[in-house]
Amino acid sequence: MLLQILANALALGAAYALLALGFVLILNATGAVNFAHGDMVMAGGYVAIAMGSVLQLPGALLLPLVVAVMALLGFVFSWFAYFPLKNRPPVSVFISTIALGIIFQNSANAIYGAAPRKGPPLLSEGNFGMGGITIGAQALGIVVVAIVLIVAQHLLLNRSGIGRKLRATAQDREMAEAVGIRVNRMIALTFALGSALAGAAGLMLSNTFFITPTDGTNYVIKAYIAVTIGGWGSLSGAVCGALIIALFEVLFPSLPLLIPPLKIIAPWLFTQTASTILLYVGLLAIMFFRPQGLFGETVQRRV
Amino acid sequence: MNAVVRSVMGWSRSGIRPLFILGIILLALWPTLMTSAYQMRIFTIVGIYALLSLGYQFIFGHAGALSLTQGTFFGVGAYVTGILSVRYGLGGEFTVLLSIALPLALAALIAAPVLRLESHYFALATLGVGQVMLLVAISWQDLTGGANGLSGIPGLTLFGLEFGKGYGIMAVVWVCVAMGAFVSWRITRGLYGAALVISRENRIAALSIGIDTAQLRYAMFLLSAMFAGLAGALYAHTIRVVSPEALEFAIMVACLTITVVGGRTHIAGAILGAILIVNLPEWFRAMEKYYLIAYGIALLAMIVAAPYGLIGLLEQWRAKLLPEKPPAMPPAEPFIFVRAARSAAGPLLEIRDVHKHFGGLKALNGISLMVAPGQIFGLIGPNGSGKTTMLNVITGIYRADSGSVYLDGTDIHNKRSFVIAQSGIARTFQNINLVEEMSVLDNVAVARYGFDNAGLVQTFAAGRIDPAWKRARSNAMYVLEGLGVATVAQSAAGSLAYGLKRKVEIARALALEPRLLLLDEPAAGLNEGEQLDLADRLRAFARGGLAILVIEHNMPFLMPLAERMACLDYGDLIAEGTPAEIRANPLVIEAYLGTPEEKRA
Amino acid sequence: MKVSDMRRNNRRRDNCIGLLVATALVACPLAASAQAELNLPILVPITGFLSLEGTSQRNGALLAIKNAPSSVKITAEVTDTGSSPEGAVTALERSLSRGKVSAVAASMLGTQMLAMLPVALENKVPLATVSGTADITEKNNPYVFRFFPGDAVAKGAHVRYVLEELKKKRVALVYQTTAYGQSGRKHIVELLKKSGIEPVMEEALDVAVKDMSAVIGKVQAARPDVIMLHLHGGPSALFIKQAGAAKVNLPIVAGSGMSQPTTVALMEPAELKGLCAETNAAPVAGGSPQMDKFLAQYRAEFKSEPDGFAVGQYDATSMIIDVVAKGAKTPEDIRKALSGGSFKGLAMTYKSDGKGNMAHSAVIICYDGKTRMPKIVKRYD
Repeated sequence: MLLQILANALALGAAYALLALGFVLILNATGAVNFAHGDMVMAGGYVAIAMGSVLQLPGALLLPLVVAVMALLGFVFSWFAYFPLKNRPPVSVFISTIALGIIFQNSANAIYGAAPRKGPPLLSEGNFGMGGITIGAQALGIVVVAIVLIVAQHLLLNRSGIGRKLRATAQDREMAEAVGIRVNRMIALTFALGSALAGAAGLMLSNTFFITPTDGTNYVIKAYIAVTIGGWGSLSGAVCGALIIALFEVLFPSLPLLIPPLKIIAPWLFTQTASTILLYVGLLAIMFFRPQGLFGETVQRRV
Repeated sequence: MNAVVRSVMGWSRSGIRPLFILGIILLALWPTLMTSAYQMRIFTIVGIYALLSLGYQFIFGHAGALSLTQGTFFGVGAYVTGILSVRYGLGGEFTVLLSIALPLALAALIAAPVLRLESHYFALATLGVGQVMLLVAISWQDLTGGANGLSGIPGLTLFGLEFGKGYGIMAVVWVCVAMGAFVSWRITRGLYGAALVISRENRIAALSIGIDTAQLRYAMFLLSAMFAGLAGALYAHTIRVVSPEALEFAIMVACLTITVVGGRTHIAGAILGAILIVNLPEWFRAMEKYYLIAYGIALLAMIVAAPYGLIGLLEQWRAKLLPEKPPAMPPAEPFIFVRAARSAAGPLLEIRDVHKHFGGLKALNGISLMVAPGQIFGLIGPNGSGKTTMLNVITGIYRADSGSVYLDGTDIHNKRSFVIAQSGIARTFQNINLVEEMSVLDNVAVARYGFDNAGLVQTFAAGRIDPAWKRARSNAMYVLEGLGVATVAQSAAGSLAYGLKRKVEIARALALEPRLLLLDEPAAGLNEGEQLDLADRLRAFARGGLAILVIEHNMPFLMPLAERMACLDYGDLIAEGTPAEIRANPLVIEAYLGTPEEKRA
Repeated sequence: MKVSDMRRNNRRRDNCIGLLVATALVACPLAASAQAELNLPILVPITGFLSLEGTSQRNGALLAIKNAPSSVKITAEVTDTGSSPEGAVTALERSLSRGKVSAVAASMLGTQMLAMLPVALENKVPLATVSGTADITEKNNPYVFRFFPGDAVAKGAHVRYVLEELKKKRVALVYQTTAYGQSGRKHIVELLKKSGIEPVMEEALDVAVKDMSAVIGKVQAARPDVIMLHLHGGPSALFIKQAGAAKVNLPIVAGSGMSQPTTVALMEPAELKGLCAETNAAPVAGGSPQMDKFLAQYRAEFKSEPDGFAVGQYDATSMIIDVVAKGAKTPEDIRKALSGGSFKGLAMTYKSDGKGNMAHSAVIICYDGKTRMPKIVKRYD
């Protein structure tokens, strides 16, 4: 039972991790929350569906194409939502991304309608048992793809010249500019990277959980919470935060199954609604007691 | 030039007045042209959203915090009215009051954990609060009617009078808008309004002149909740049903959009924004399901093209077409800004064994110092030796790990920054902290915040012109004259040369009537003549009893000025004495010129 | 007048997107008699989270107008209500301000209907909807007409099928935290209680809940012998899919959300095996010649599959057109004709129960696991 729950949580967490990672990359480069990040996930899902219906390929082969299209979309996105506002307070970008989110959502609604759609599976949709637990081929695929992408983006950032430039830009834009890095290009690239990761998540989630034009809001809130719990701006923190949220979402309402007395003591506490409320309360508590996040270090800002 | 700041400071009132009056006339004429219930309803809803946005301007515009909970306060207000009038049959005189009171209580409750968070955390926290309230409204079916909500809300009755529909509810809504606009104008002007501007634009500077920025933010948050609650109550009486949609994020987005499009701090912006955003879907109806795309594009275009909203844009055009005359300089009103310390016996400032670490770095390592009343004390040391950290510990921006700081015998260590400023310690900053868009005069005048009993209630209750603000500006003029910079009083602080900015900062610090003045590199950017002039003026202040602690690298400036000096190096106090003693101290020479490699080994 | 009698219509094709006004042009040279006029605004959600259902409503209404006899001159403007009560009321007032409204094809969202009711009463305009929300016909408002089984009827069929046909006693109930879910759940629990049964387990799900493993685990732990779902389309499909993966071998009887073709399209035929669902009408081929014709026309016109809402709104609009063709002139005439008469539509025969509930039939459909086409297994009239 516990193993099954952990397996489910891992599959969910892997997808959340991809979207949290894209979110935090853009956050670091621009200092601003991209509130349309969930809508990028949604867009990725629809791109996958559109390509899948034309090419008739499995998701695993569509993945590079979707990632490429979404990276392009990320460029375009930055051109509208970020660059006109780069010298304004980050709040302006926050609001401009809300506006772009509205445009994304309603474009998807106008093109595809509000009916839920199903994206192509990575390989197949079967399930297989392993040591008493059942794992979907898709779920396993998500975990594998997420690990590959997370490792790839880690290598890109830490082991390549362009990665060093991206990181330098995120850390201190003025300093990066002073040493001759083309900062705007790097930021646009970051948007492309973040959008690509969101697109990959969208491709996979659109098969597992289907996709509707209004799904984005839910996903961006998850990413936002994951990044806050993990520590503002920390890449590994974002991944950990995503896993924690997924674990909480799956495990907490299941607790009465693992510990039967709970069912008698407080059944109301373990409903889906109560656990969602608790997630937010927990989030507020973390922000209050550890504003640097669970894994962040204390930073005191210079005056 | 930043239109937001300018209009808050009241410069442009005269310039915008014709537009303002024209707007009011148009607004008043509009209802008389209405022919259908539909037009009346649209106008009523415009009023409700204008009220919501007027409230949102307090926290988002004036306090500068991106709150995402305004829609929640609105929904809670609507639910209170819905529940009380449907389930308990209460009249409007109760439902409206309670619809204001409950969001107020909710705001007061969540302010403690939420309000001190930094911007993006604050946004998420307020979003989270909204999600929780939405889930509660859906799940608590016995009270709220669940997802279906409550229907059959009666029209508004106040003390037996009915304001059910059409002109009745429309009149009530717009009277509320007018009252809300009046409250907003009264509160955000004058000295209190200036304090809001500096708290928003430069929190550290606001704290350094004794403004409790957290309290201002708190007041703005509560006000925004009250306005939202009132708007929610009127909404429930207008739509006649209340359902979870009133708590959903769409309302928050509409409110944010109205405020951004209209203007974040302009009263007229809230109204103009509401007119536009409520009518936009009506105008775009012909586009059927594409109209929301157009709505998103319009919002994005506004953010990019008009950062200060439509009113800001109008204001810019007006400034180009009809350049305004600079307002008359206020007469300088003398006051004694240099006070002798109360007890001349002991030291004015005493620092005992202060330690401060940043991670592994020892910034201050057991520093003890004393400054006497009327004394000019020089603090020197190489870059990174801990001088500015010392200043930040004294002024409460950093908290020392151990040790204590006494001002005139009172322990001020662990007190909050603005309290320390109020108790008589004023400072300037190494990297200048002025509000660039504000005039020099206003930058200095706002430091009089603590002296004239300025506060929300006082500002609201004052007459057409806030007398406290008038006095503050006259006092500020006097201090500027005292530093010889009165000629630039009307320039925007951002337009000044570096050296002048430093002097304005000193003037602002002096307007606080300090007993101790902390100067962080005051001579930087001044030429030799100006340096001599500044030194003369500082000596004169010291003769009046003011103690001055000066951080400086410029030895030709400092050595003749200071009576005593101390030298820091890597967080250690390596020497203390008269300027002559310091000059001769081998440790000091080594710190500045010597062999760092050896030292560090 | 029967549906099959309706004239085929060769007018300029009012193709969907961007279309604002579908005005039926005068096109009958034979009927020289005075033309009946009908102004029927279509006020439905075509944006927001209910735009799927709202679009079905819109399409159903537009198709009925297209098939109208030429003796009736129809003006029909489609206005989006969004998903808020405010949007619905504004849309209604707007339509009322733009000319004499005969009747309104109104949103299927319960909260929007509740908000529009007082305005309709005040302006004496009948509203024809396919909302299932029980409350809307409980307000003593003579201007509401529901061409869709209300919760009492639909959930009656749902519960009766479980108890009488499947003979199950241990019911696990999973429902949505929306108006649709809460209102349906209330009726299910009440009806079960009448038979002396309490659900062995109940859980409410937000539409945002995607991973349902926790609730599926709880369902299994309660050892039910049947699962009753009352979820919207997407979540129904998610639940069934995830329950299948978790090897839950229990009969599932779902709510009307499952019967929508867009929901069925999310599943492989094999995943549907043994699944049953409640609905007002199953727009399936071979049901009747009229239904076949409707299906063909709908697919040709809107490039999509119709659902129960489309059928319901088609029938509602057809009945209004019918009473106007038969001489109802004013809104009051239409109201009287709707509340007094009966009409044989595609899905069933409609007749008011005195409160505005026109539909008293619901069907149970089941899937055999080979195709996505359901079969009607039980009809409750």
